[in-house]
Amino acid sequence: MLISFGVSSHQFTPTYPELSQSYMPKVLKLEMQLLNKRQDISYYELEVLDIDSNPVSFAARQKIFEVQYLKRKNIEVYIRQADKDKAYYVCSKSKILKGQNKTSPVSSKICSKIIK
Amino acid sequence: MKKLLLATALFSTTAMANVPIMGTVESKCVITTETPGIYGNPTPSVLSTDEVDGGITPVVRFDVATADYYKAVISTPDSFSTAPALEDVVNWSGDVSVSEVTVAEMAAYDTNKRVYNNTHEFDLTIAGTVWFKASSSAGYGYDKSFPAGNYNAVVEASCIAI
Repeated sequence: MLISFGVSSHQFTPTYPELSQSYMPKVLKLEMQLLNKRQDISYYELEVLDIDSNPVSFAARQKIFEVQYLKRKNIEVYIRQADKDKAYYVCSKSKILKGQNKTSPVSSKICSKIIK
Repeated sequence: MKKLLLATALFSTTAMANVPIMGTVESKCVITTETPGIYGNPTPSVLSTDEVDGGITPVVRFDVATADYYKAVISTPDSFSTAPALEDVVNWSGDVSVSEVTVAEMAAYDTNKRVYNNTHEFDLTIAGTVWFKASSSAGYGYDKSFPAGNYNAVVEASCIAI
């Protein structure tokens, strides 16, 4: 039997998001959802990466955003049509506030693979 | 009375048959930080998360709903996120290994892992839960004493869709 105490996790779905046309021409959109079950984390950062994990430019309402403990956040990520083939992963990464932790914390990062 | 019971049974069977059951298995990865690490200070020049050195090794749990959809990438620290001013080099070492599994075959993750720099990659080829221990050790200069103060470093655990 497995008993777990003080569980704190981070979920970022879907695993394979599909690019769709946004309301702007030549701009594509991804719709993601983040669930924060980490009590020690309130902020997450978005990243769009190519196949070699290099950053790809993108737009979002906020690139670093607050998600309260046990709350979900729907996120829209906008990528230029020209970067469609370059954008390979969309990731969310936990941000640890300086001085927040007395221990050495774990930063979690989840990357979904973009379907074109 | 028998007719009434039969009618009731028929009626309830019909009602139950209309209740739909639906399910979706979504391929997703959940990263759970089970234990944050603490550095022990066994000698003035060493900070280590090993239990024998008075530290606590961080433990990260990966839950994978579907096999072969994700890889776990765990990096041990190569710098402090918080530390007093340091004037000499810090020599880092670290290791990541499987500590617990829900499926016995997951023990093979350790032998199949790829290691580069301070990063350890594991293909999550089996659905279920696996716990990884990420140990870290830092030595200061050539047997120099670390200045007094608080030291924190971050283990980065990533789950990447493949």
